[in-house]
Amino acid sequence: MLKLIKLEWKKNRIGKYMRNAVLLALFLCVFVFALAFLGIANDPESGVPDAALETGMLFSSIEMLTSISFLVFTGVMLSSFIVGAYQNKTMNLMFSYPMKRQKILISQMLAVWIFNFGALVVTKLMIYGCVLVGSCFMTAAFPIDFDMVSVEFYVQVLVKSGMVVTMEFIALFVGLKMKSSKAVIVFSFLLIVLTQANVGDFTLRDQVVFPVVLMGVSLVFAFLSVMGVEKRDLM
Amino acid sequence: MSYILQTNHLTKTIGGKVLVKDVNLHIKKGEIYGFLGPNGAGKTTVMKLITNLWKPTAGTVELFGKTLTPQSYEVLKRMGSIIEFPTFYEHMTGYENLKLHAEYMGCYQHGSIENALELLHLADAGEAPVKNYSLGMKERLGIARAVLTRPELLILDEPTNGLDPAGMKQIRDLLKTLCSEYEITIMISTHILSEIESIADTIGVIHRGRLQKEISMEEIQEMSFAYIELSVEHPRHAAYVLSDKLGLRNFKLTGEGQIRIYDSQVSIQEVSRTLALEHVEVTALGKRSETLEDYFLKITEEVE
Repeated sequence: MLKLIKLEWKKNRIGKYMRNAVLLALFLCVFVFALAFLGIANDPESGVPDAALETGMLFSSIEMLTSISFLVFTGVMLSSFIVGAYQNKTMNLMFSYPMKRQKILISQMLAVWIFNFGALVVTKLMIYGCVLVGSCFMTAAFPIDFDMVSVEFYVQVLVKSGMVVTMEFIALFVGLKMKSSKAVIVFSFLLIVLTQANVGDFTLRDQVVFPVVLMGVSLVFAFLSVMGVEKRDLM
Repeated sequence: MSYILQTNHLTKTIGGKVLVKDVNLHIKKGEIYGFLGPNGAGKTTVMKLITNLWKPTAGTVELFGKTLTPQSYEVLKRMGSIIEFPTFYEHMTGYENLKLHAEYMGCYQHGSIENALELLHLADAGEAPVKNYSLGMKERLGIARAVLTRPELLILDEPTNGLDPAGMKQIRDLLKTLCSEYEITIMISTHILSEIESIADTIGVIHRGRLQKEISMEEIQEMSFAYIELSVEHPRHAAYVLSDKLGLRNFKLTGEGQIRIYDSQVSIQEVSRTLALEHVEVTALGKRSETLEDYFLKITEEVE
């Protein structure tokens, strides 16, 4: 399986995605740093932060920004790695190889999942690290509500990152059903709205049960994407 | 007789439309099987069923003596194929595409990629990205990939598409070599008879989703395609004379007062003399020869 994942990365030019992920991480780093220390979110008259960071806390804001960014990033990669392969018929070639079709699909899904999970965790840690270093020399506009020496912090970062990337399997399923790369991207935005937006004071972002349910649903959709693929005609 | 590839009443229906029905192919080990049929006849459908990309609605495919099932993965190792048109990772070079293929097939031999590129005269283009290849080069690279792992069975769906006459000849020569020197069995589909008549051992003719004829080239060579063609004023009267006086059965009216006599027992002089005695006015009379193309056209026309 590891070999298959490596081949997926190789043929899909993972270097290109790596470069883009680094650029995205740097951009997010600079943006959050400017938000926290350079006062770009401050009201020019009062000098008080009025950014759309309704919680007023950095941890949830960083989580939200990185989640939104990587929901789209993962969607783009899934559409290119899998839905695109069906569209440009390279999947015909893949399914002519002497191995289970399920194994091929799972390797493609894992190739995207592993990359994005790793990139998301690294991006988050970069941003948290930047903010932490900045706070040693400057005064942050928002209270710093995370503790990078606690185990709980790392568990939260890992679990939340895993959930965000896994969630994209719902978008993949829709894209495969509709045979459309665009559908994956559009559905990724719908997932952002569903999981990150708020209506008035209500948001599903900070619910405890919702992400767990969504994670379960995502895994069901991942299973549905590979189920029955052996017996299906490759159209 | 045992066959390397055999289909039994192979049928495929999609959305109520019958694409192929009751196709019974028989391909012997070590032969080149020409799969002939006009566009839309069902050639690609049959090949997709053979390579397991599509699953049959009814009937079976037997490959290497075993019935193909959705779980038949090992047989794919023994096959090479190009269905419809060869697809590549366009940003990768020809060499990289072949290397990737070898890795997926689990059979990488040192020098095999270079040999395959050399065989298809692509050695110079091996380091260029496939997106810069012409259609003909892509076809050749597709064949190079299909033969890279030295399969026992090669399934090629119209592989000479986009090739110039010299390229076509090159492919024909290559297929002959692969068959004779490496004992690779080859099934090749085409809608142009001349592409395969010089290399095929057996020809299967498919039309409107049904296999019309499966005939070996030996049998074809034994068949006589010569006939007598005559033009008469009153074809019905002439037909009566041919049938009643000469006892002929194998002739047909081809329109505009023309009659073709396929019966080889009768001579042109005898026909002429008998028709004259029976007062049939003959305006033209001569011996003609039917081409192999005409023969296959006749087979497909019979279905119309």
